Amino acid sequence: MDINLVDFFQRNTRTIMEYTENHFTLVLSAVVISLLIWVPIGLLLTKSDKWAARIMALANTIFCIPSLSLFAIMVTIPALGLGRKSALLALVLYAMMPLIRNVYDGVKNVDRNVIEAAKGMGMSSGRIMREIQLPLGLPVIFAGFRITVVMTTGIAAIATYIGERNLGRFIQEGLVRSNTSMIIMGALIISVIAIALDTILGGIEKLVIPKGLRARR
Amino acid sequence: MIELKNVTKQYPGQPHPAVDSLTLTVPEGEICVLVGPSGCGKSTTLRMINRMIEPSAGSITINGQSVMNNDPDHLRMGIGYVIQQIGLLPHRTIAENIAIVPRLYKWPKEKIVRRVDELLVMMGLDPEKTRSKYPSQLSGGQMQRVGVARAMAVDPPIMLMDEPFGAVDPIARTHLQDEFLRLQKEIRKTIVFVTHDINEAIKMGDKIAIFGEGKLVQFGTPEEVLTNPANEFVENFIGYDRIVKKLFLYQVQEAYRPAVCRLRPEEIGNALSKMLAEKAEVAFVLNEADKPCGYLTREELEQEETARDADGLQKLAARRSKAFVQTTTPLPDALSVMLEYDAEYVGVLKNGLLEGVMSFKDIRRHVYRREGE
Ligand SMILES: Nc1ncnc2c1ncn2[C@@H]1O[C@H](COP(=O)(O)OP(=O)(O)OP(=O)(O)O)[C@@H](O)[C@H]1O
Ligand SMILES: [Mg+2]
Repeated sequence: MDINLVDFFQRNTRTIMEYTENHFTLVLSAVVISLLIWVPIGLLLTKSDKWAARIMALANTIFCIPSLSLFAIMVTIPALGLGRKSALLALVLYAMMPLIRNVYDGVKNVDRNVIEAAKGMGMSSGRIMREIQLPLGLPVIFAGFRITVVMTTGIAAIATYIGERNLGRFIQEGLVRSNTSMIIMGALIISVIAIALDTILGGIEKLVIPKGLRARR
Repeated sequence: MIELKNVTKQYPGQPHPAVDSLTLTVPEGEICVLVGPSGCGKSTTLRMINRMIEPSAGSITINGQSVMNNDPDHLRMGIGYVIQQIGLLPHRTIAENIAIVPRLYKWPKEKIVRRVDELLVMMGLDPEKTRSKYPSQLSGGQMQRVGVARAMAVDPPIMLMDEPFGAVDPIARTHLQDEFLRLQKEIRKTIVFVTHDINEAIKMGDKIAIFGEGKLVQFGTPEEVLTNPANEFVENFIGYDRIVKKLFLYQVQEAYRPAVCRLRPEEIGNALSKMLAEKAEVAFVLNEADKPCGYLTREELEQEETARDADGLQKLAARRSKAFVQTTTPLPDALSVMLEYDAEYVGVLKNGLLEGVMSFKDIRRHVYRREGE
């Protein structure tokens, strides 16, 4: 077995760049779409316990489907087929659980007394959501966002089996060809991206947490 | 004026109504305390007034207007609301917390800034130090003050206070109560005040409404309630020390006797004859400046006349140099002075001059005369 990552990198720089870029754009679009859909739905669910229970059960069920199977199921839907649309939809469905759950928990776990006092002073429920529940729920919501980003980066690799030309392809082909350098290169870059994104988001998280929650005597 | 008429609240799935056809009137400018054991419906009653809870039946009016005719948010903006858990927004500074309702009213910025400082001063907090702190940086007592300040921000004529001083230690609570009563003398708000502490109710209330299991058991002034408990429930709720609690309602000026025998420095030698002439049980020794510096009782003099010269009597009197109270001293405090100095009598002062005398018997007589009424 011959492992030479430097050599592999030098000979395949263009492919690596292409795959990395594809990986990135897939993750980015999946995360953006997920945020746009699931955050508002998570917020809405805080208004109805009945619907919250239903939707959360659905999200949990989807989350339990093995990723390869979910990608495969997407492909069988005529309107989607092989490729990016199926990959995107599967990733967005996976993000449902961590995002909805954390948005819901974040908002719901805001101190009831703070809400009671605000409501009692005549704040409208919209204003309470914007000025109190969202900012105070932000740490939990942001944690869900971080998990989603890291998770999506990992699962996106599997989309290579339904035609995505991304970093997962190194692992897939490496396995077929028993090329260890190739496998390790794929895994390494995916991990580096995931760790880098998580670290950056960790830094941002510190900035978005309301000051009063950090201030101590 | 707040009027509740036959107000009932039945929570779904509960066997009994939390509040059961309650009728109650809170006159303008008074503090009405709702008091009773846990779960008897005090908070529910309070929260129906600002429509945090909708009544199942009955009517609630404020100055003749049904609260149901008003938009709930608008109604609440006009009513100060303080809860036990305070509920300060942890991500907002103290100034921002106090500014919540003024902002809802869209007050101009400068007016809000001015009002915030004014309220902080009014609540005994230093604006410079407090303004830009976060709630987590304050002590429990300070937070409670901010909670009250926030409720008073737009100077609402009506305040609803649900155990507003519940979250602090007894000493801080006493302090907050005293300050609030002093403030209330000036601001004269119509206040509904919830507590489960009968002592707090007696102290804070112009009227006390005693609740038991959703029903109003007795309504009256603290004196009425303490003097004539409506039934055994109220008696038990007040406790075995009913009479002692009653003492807290009175000040020295209601119980003392103005007639008093005074001894100028040169008269101390014939103290006994002066007392006999004035039919006094006790005589106060004054110094050159007419300030009282102690007293002698007739009993003492009759026993010790032969044994003491003027100097000795002066010393004996001086042992009670601290047995003095003000006309505005509450009776329980006067009683502690008596016990502290082992004194049968206390001198009553007004503006530093001797005004009268009060004995243990006078206290007893005062309380029991009130009992009999
Ligand atoms: N949202 C609710 N749903 C059902 N029952 C409730 C609800 N809120 C209060 N209750 C019940 O109504 C009764 C009165 O409650 P309330 O909070 O008014 O009591 P309270 O006198 O304020 O008691 P405490 O001194 O403990 O605050 C209690 O038996 C309580 O369990
Ligand atoms: Mg209560």
